[in-house]
Amino acid sequence: MRRLGVDVGGTFTDLLIVDEDAGTVSVEKVATTADPADGVLAGTMRVIEAAGLRPDDVDDFLHGTTIATNIVLERDGARGGLITTEGFRDILHTARHRRPLTFSIYQEVPWQDHPLIPRELRLTVPERVTAPDGAIERPLDEQATRAAARQLAARDVEAVAVCFLFSFLNAEHEQRVRAILEEELPGVYVFLRSDVAPRYREYEAFSTTALCAYVGPKTNRYIERLSQALQSAGVRAELRVMTSAGGVATAAGATRQPANLLMSGPVAGLIGGLWAARLSGFEDVITLDVGGTSADIGVAPGGELRLKHLLDTQIAGYHAMIPMAELDTIGAGGGSLASVDEAGMFHVGPQSAGAEPGPACYQRGGDRPTVTDAMLVVGKLRPESFLAGAMSVDPALAERALREHVCEPLGVDLTEAAASTVGVITHSMIQAIELNSVQKGYDPREFTLVALGGAGGLFAADIALEMGIPRVLVPPNPGITSALGLLATDTLYEHSTTEMAPLDELDWDRVRDQFARLDERGREQLRRDGVADDAIELRHFADCRYANQGYELMVAAPDLAVGAQAWAEQLAEGFHVAHERQYSRRFDGAVHLVNLRTLAVGRRPPLRWPELPAGDGDPGRALRHEQDVVFVVDGRREAHSTRFYERAALRAGDDVPGPAVIEQFDSTTVVSPGMGARVDPRGNLILEAR
Amino acid sequence: MSETETVRPTLDPMTLRVLGGAFGAIAKEMAQVIFRTAFFQIIREAEDLGAGLYTHDGQEIAESETTAMHCGSIGAYLRGIVEVWGGDIEDGDVFLHNDPLHGASHIADVCIAVPIFWEGRLIAWAADTAHLADLGAASAGLCTDAFDYFADGRNYRALKIETGGQRNQELVRHIFDNVRTPDVNRGDIEALYTASQLGARRFGALLDKYGADVVMAAAHAWMDHCEQLLRREIEKVPDGDYEAPVQWMDDDARNRDHPLNINVKVVKRGSDVTIDLTGSHPEVETAVNAPLEGSTKIAAYFIVRTIFLDQATHAAYIPNNEGMFRPVHVEAPEGSLFNPRFPRATYARFCACQIAADSVLLALADALPQQVCAGTGAEVHVIAFSGIAPGSRAYWVYVQVNESSWGGRYGKDGMDSIGCLMENIRNNPIEEEELSFPVRVERYELRDEGPAPGRWRGGLGVIRATRSLGEGWVTSEAERQFDPPKGLFGGHNGRTAKTEVRRADGSVLELPSKFTSFKLMPGDVIEFRTACGGGYGDPLERDPEAVARDARDKLVTVEGARADYGVVLDPRTLALDREATDRARAAARQPTVTPSGSTP
Repeated sequence: MRRLGVDVGGTFTDLLIVDEDAGTVSVEKVATTADPADGVLAGTMRVIEAAGLRPDDVDDFLHGTTIATNIVLERDGARGGLITTEGFRDILHTARHRRPLTFSIYQEVPWQDHPLIPRELRLTVPERVTAPDGAIERPLDEQATRAAARQLAARDVEAVAVCFLFSFLNAEHEQRVRAILEEELPGVYVFLRSDVAPRYREYEAFSTTALCAYVGPKTNRYIERLSQALQSAGVRAELRVMTSAGGVATAAGATRQPANLLMSGPVAGLIGGLWAARLSGFEDVITLDVGGTSADIGVAPGGELRLKHLLDTQIAGYHAMIPMAELDTIGAGGGSLASVDEAGMFHVGPQSAGAEPGPACYQRGGDRPTVTDAMLVVGKLRPESFLAGAMSVDPALAERALREHVCEPLGVDLTEAAASTVGVITHSMIQAIELNSVQKGYDPREFTLVALGGAGGLFAADIALEMGIPRVLVPPNPGITSALGLLATDTLYEHSTTEMAPLDELDWDRVRDQFARLDERGREQLRRDGVADDAIELRHFADCRYANQGYELMVAAPDLAVGAQAWAEQLAEGFHVAHERQYSRRFDGAVHLVNLRTLAVGRRPPLRWPELPAGDGDPGRALRHEQDVVFVVDGRREAHSTRFYERAALRAGDDVPGPAVIEQFDSTTVVSPGMGARVDPRGNLILEAR
Repeated sequence: MSETETVRPTLDPMTLRVLGGAFGAIAKEMAQVIFRTAFFQIIREAEDLGAGLYTHDGQEIAESETTAMHCGSIGAYLRGIVEVWGGDIEDGDVFLHNDPLHGASHIADVCIAVPIFWEGRLIAWAADTAHLADLGAASAGLCTDAFDYFADGRNYRALKIETGGQRNQELVRHIFDNVRTPDVNRGDIEALYTASQLGARRFGALLDKYGADVVMAAAHAWMDHCEQLLRREIEKVPDGDYEAPVQWMDDDARNRDHPLNINVKVVKRGSDVTIDLTGSHPEVETAVNAPLEGSTKIAAYFIVRTIFLDQATHAAYIPNNEGMFRPVHVEAPEGSLFNPRFPRATYARFCACQIAADSVLLALADALPQQVCAGTGAEVHVIAFSGIAPGSRAYWVYVQVNESSWGGRYGKDGMDSIGCLMENIRNNPIEEEELSFPVRVERYELRDEGPAPGRWRGGLGVIRATRSLGEGWVTSEAERQFDPPKGLFGGHNGRTAKTEVRRADGSVLELPSKFTSFKLMPGDVIEFRTACGGGYGDPLERDPEAVARDARDKLVTVEGARADYGVVLDPRTLALDREATDRARAAARQPTVTPSGSTP
């Protein structure tokens, strides 16, 4: 198979072709264009040519896009309307009534200051479905619905969200509204709450549906346009796009639920990291993807992505009840600014110098010190490190910025200022890793830290030493791991429903019926995508909580074949264990079921990756430079003479003792004193304490 | 600055920064454990809780920054525990505490505190508080008219529920035997316990790693740092006595037609601020008195920090800790509403504190016009529904929170129906409410009777109408049905709150803001309208496009736009007529009548 992955980032579009038959890998990086489709298309042609292939040789085309995310961040969504239950016009506006900041009068409230759908386009119609069984208390007023539809038509809405209370128990009214809208507003996108978020908690569900209406029209147009452009260019493989759950969906699958594309960007990197680690036999993985402004941290015990709780999935302050891989993004990267506030406290990040002006040493007018400047001063980076010397940087500017903004106000010398800058940002990453590992009941000493992005390798060794993580793994191309991750994912759809009952009073037939229904929806969707039946895997999960709790935990559900009683008992035990892991205690109370979920997976053939030729074990051929580098060893700053190697010249079996720095085109790996690095046959660098 | 100025090791900037981050992370993790494992919906959905780390003498090292009223008061709880037990506090003890006579905020906010020892010495505390469903008071869930301290609820005065790691099971059984919601209370106490133990463990790990000297030095350095930041801001305001207009509570929950006055003067000297409540109404024989240590002072700390170090306008990471409290002082005569004596009840003290905080905003308006807002709702409609489950005859209690709104701000309209001042708790989803309790929500949307006009209009309160499906009771703790939120600089006053019951037989009954155990019959609908905040600045200065938008949003009528804002809209299309608007505004500005308000 020949698989092509395209990941669009803020600055660059990364492309990767793995030709499994020829055993070759081709990589391209092009600038991201104003309409990202242009860059994707141009890059596609270039990487295909570089791989010596023709467009129709590509069997698989996988795409990671930030288009939906950017629409929300830039507040550039479609003009959408809402039709909702009479008496409940402002659910999107009042949200959960909680202001973002505790101590603030002048704060912004995103959902009020920039509503996804303004009040004038939020219309109500008489209807009411009730709990617990979805009984209709008040029938839908079809005349009022038609009037509302016409009102929205007159306002030229591009999309309509239909959100009724309790529609997850009975979707009849919403479906009827869709039929009326299709008559009155032909061609306008319609999203039903009962399709998009058929679970309880009205605000979060309405907001998710409104997000679909907000991002849907533009996202769908982008996907359609790109599909057509690729087809005209001769690419016959079907376009598939990455979702926030860490799977891919076909263009058709994605456009039905465009909110699922939100925040999908960093997930591909996590999957790429998992995949690279698995190649070398490591399953329990923490990924650290560090770029210019932020660091993405993922913790995947057993190599499995975990999904966030549906109350924790937000984008720019808007709730999105969508399956989203557990990933934490913090404001820590090469561009993070070091500063001393008016009362003398030292800060590094989350403010960043961004791409412009960037670090002081970039000579683009930035005069404030960043982490990159500090790395240059301690010697872990050198001017030649930047894009293999293709970019000119000035260490004197880095020094000047640190002296002025850190040394003087703190009264410390240059080395301490630089080392402290690196130290503080490293600890921000450690804290985020702890939050997602130790605080969730996972012991980092059982994990492998996978360093990704341009700067992950600069920090990973020190983090591993500090946290007792036994090894660091750096994939062959850490700068394009997202594109790689795209190639390593399965097709994935999630279907879920709210089903509340105590586990010891389950209506067993109903549970089986619900799963059968969810399974059928998943299977049908995968078949439509052309997935063969023997590649379809249906995984069951259940969200549970103790009676009276309000916050459920997702646990793997036992096989239905074990029968009613064993199913309930095993599920309860799985929940107790998960609760204890997460919150340090289990209670003896009754366990309640809240939601049922089916994850429908279309297994794709495993990606075959070429091996790296073996060398003679001596990395001498890759040695390029030697200089003093300042490390912090056992809490003390020490300068060590350090060798710099070129990654491209390393071969399988090479052994690099620390301290050392290993440079490649778009990233740098530091091997701290007391560690050593070896190159494994898959091309992964593996750093371990010696 | 701090009283415990001893010789401390000097800390390098990196260790200081790293420990500061670690303190905050521990407090936040504690809070997360509570709201994700607790049972009572006000804790788990509304997150009405606080958690943090404190020094041995109750100085706040770090807090979860959840509900301000909780976090800020925990230090006072701990000082109360030390008051009761003196030196008799041992490793392995766990305290349960809610006594307002010894630092508690009010009886419903229950604290679990775990002392942390280092080399045999009490060095710090991990502690948390949350609002429990029922305290066995005179009425279920809430209690607004309790006559005295004993009618207020069950008192847990610094009880050791564990000694040397051993749970006192008989005591615990006694506690749960005496409340209406024993299962829910038990789950919540366990959640608080789990979080406090976790906090103590995490803090212990820091002590092991860095040593107590370094950790405590960092703790004090962060307090000093925050104190310094706040003092620098306070210093910028000219010294003086800034007085707020008198504001009024509706009544004391029993004696109707007798509003209670709240007088606030802000005395600013150097880098210190004193909130002087002298002249406010004397203590009353119901539950609306505010304990000085655990409630009144917290309100003062909260509002001073919010005005001077607004998180939205101060970019750097500024945690909340003891340093924020040090420049702030409170003057409240003993025996007054804000410093009641034994045996007065304090269960329903919240709105008094809110209005006092609101008055601080009004007092400082002329001095800091771009840091305050116009009068806020300064209330929250906390409503307890309760009943007896058929069959089991067990009590159920459901507390509904209905947020009011904020006043207009310089450059921004007021925030609509959202956590106001010290209250920032989430609502309960309708879909949760109806799945769990015999109620049906009939209406839940913004008050569309019109916001308070201003150059930046006031925020909108909310309307929530709930039908009772069975027989039960409702208790209401709220304010602002009499005295509206104040407008500023020519902005209009806000809208008062309103409560009514529509009986199944069609009769309508207006109710006061505070009442206790009102009987609801099947089919009765109770409707609350929370207060709308005041407007800021002259409405004739409001951007006419914003008025047109409010009209399209059906919040302002064509007539209202004309009368209040001098904005002329096409009655059919609601399009703005700029020329007519200019003319109307010019005419309105003619000094035919002397404007009553002052011009800024």
